[in-house]
Amino acid sequence: MVVREQKTGVDLAVELCGLMLRTPLIPASGTLSREALGEVEGVYGAMLPKTATPVARAGNPPPRVAETPAGMVNSIGLQNPGVEVFLRDLDAFDLGVPIFISVAGDTVAEFASLCERLADDERICAVELNLSCPNVECGGLAFCAGPASVEEVVAACRAAVSDKPILAKLTNGGVVENARAAEAAGADALTVINTLPALTVDARMRKVLVKGGLSGPAIKPVALRAVYDVSGVVRVPVVGSGGVTSGTDVAEFMLAGATAVQVGTASFVRDPYEILDEFTVYLKESTLSAKELTGALRGVRPVLTGGEDI
Amino acid sequence: MKFYKVEVEEREELGSYTLLRYRWSDGPVEPGQFVMARAAGYPETLDPFLARPFSFYDYDGEMASLLFEVRGRGTALLDLAPTIEVTAPLGKGFRIEPGLGRAALLGGGIGVAPLKILGRRLDAAGVPHDVFLGFADARSAVVAREFQGAEVATMDGSEGTHGTVLDPIDTLEDYGAVYSCGPNPMLAAVKLAAGENSLCQLSVEERMGCGNGSCNGCVVPVRGGGYIRSCIEGPVFRAEVLAW
Repeated sequence: MVVREQKTGVDLAVELCGLMLRTPLIPASGTLSREALGEVEGVYGAMLPKTATPVARAGNPPPRVAETPAGMVNSIGLQNPGVEVFLRDLDAFDLGVPIFISVAGDTVAEFASLCERLADDERICAVELNLSCPNVECGGLAFCAGPASVEEVVAACRAAVSDKPILAKLTNGGVVENARAAEAAGADALTVINTLPALTVDARMRKVLVKGGLSGPAIKPVALRAVYDVSGVVRVPVVGSGGVTSGTDVAEFMLAGATAVQVGTASFVRDPYEILDEFTVYLKESTLSAKELTGALRGVRPVLTGGEDI
Repeated sequence: MKFYKVEVEEREELGSYTLLRYRWSDGPVEPGQFVMARAAGYPETLDPFLARPFSFYDYDGEMASLLFEVRGRGTALLDLAPTIEVTAPLGKGFRIEPGLGRAALLGGGIGVAPLKILGRRLDAAGVPHDVFLGFADARSAVVAREFQGAEVATMDGSEGTHGTVLDPIDTLEDYGAVYSCGPNPMLAAVKLAAGENSLCQLSVEERMGCGNGSCNGCVVPVRGGGYIRSCIEGPVFRAEVLAW
């Protein structure tokens, strides 16, 4: 394992819900396969495999992906082998950093029983509730319909797993209200945001190409705004997610209020190691540690050039 | 996904297609394996965003070549770029089994690409084979000159047999092995024509997101239900595995 601090003299570590992360980067759920793990050793502060559901899901019929300007729309539909097979194969994701598990159910009861199933598994350090998948018929985004449903599902999960941190992954719509509700119901952190509901059309064939979720650099400003707004009104840490593609992007999300940052779609087109390297250079040049960045925007007044009144 | 910059050493226009050669020493490559490629230059590479999958057209341990058709911005930029970024070899290729007798190779349109390196490897393994290529028209059929002795068909009849790649063939069932790459409807027809006695392997053409198994975007339906990824479990599949 590479110990980056010794190599660079830069402190990349952050603390999230009592867990020490060697770097603030976490793979966004559903964007890092077992087959690709060999490429990312030393990059991430925690592991986060693709969302598990109570039983296997075949996923949606193809086409499932379409490229868009500086991004892509996907409609995978939470394809996964179900939580039991998922847990059987989980050891592959042990890269010596904390393992977070993303779960999704069709109902509140399913969410709660998934959390119960994970509660005693010592390999698992934290649970992320995927309350915002745009590509499934039941559950998914519906849980983010409003604060009441967010509160209900988070409270049920909280009751099911008491000694592991719970992260609630929220969609952009209504994110501030939903964040407040998740915090009130006992979430230890909030992941902000999931993909944005989106559509691609094949004009020549006159049909829908992919109806799904937009990700990639195209959504970064939207995600930054959500992180900024949410971190201003909750006490729990925010994990930024949405279009993070460079080391500067990581810094921007942390400055806006994120404690840690998820890298997703960008890992399809860049070596995530480069993102960490760029972030390391940023810290070195600014003589700051990673944890000093979080929320730093709020303390900073605009620079005035003498004699100006506000 | 880590990409490697390579200089384009040679670019050749073959009718509707472009053949592009670059130095590549990270072998070995199985026929049917693929490359994710794009024009070089982050952050310019953020739009178009994704790299594109291409089968190896040829690889001799030193020079690799890709055959592609300009269909959108990604391929248009690739067609002009002096430097490209690639990651390879990816996926599972064609399995060559000597001792099955004569092989038939069927390519449709840009799907002829992996048949070049496959034919070379079959020659090396001493497997006799016939090549059948189908195209939309004479212009896209120009690449057929790179396949000596190939039987050509075009949909508009402007070159070779008028019809599909299967039209010049009496029966595929006498072949011990059938290898094919092309659009899905063609592959389904090849699978049907090959019958059940031969080893029939199909290389699918799917839209891909990542190319390394992470996004689950490039799936194909399998017999018995569900989907599997063409970038990891494929792009070459035994015909009987596929649902269509």
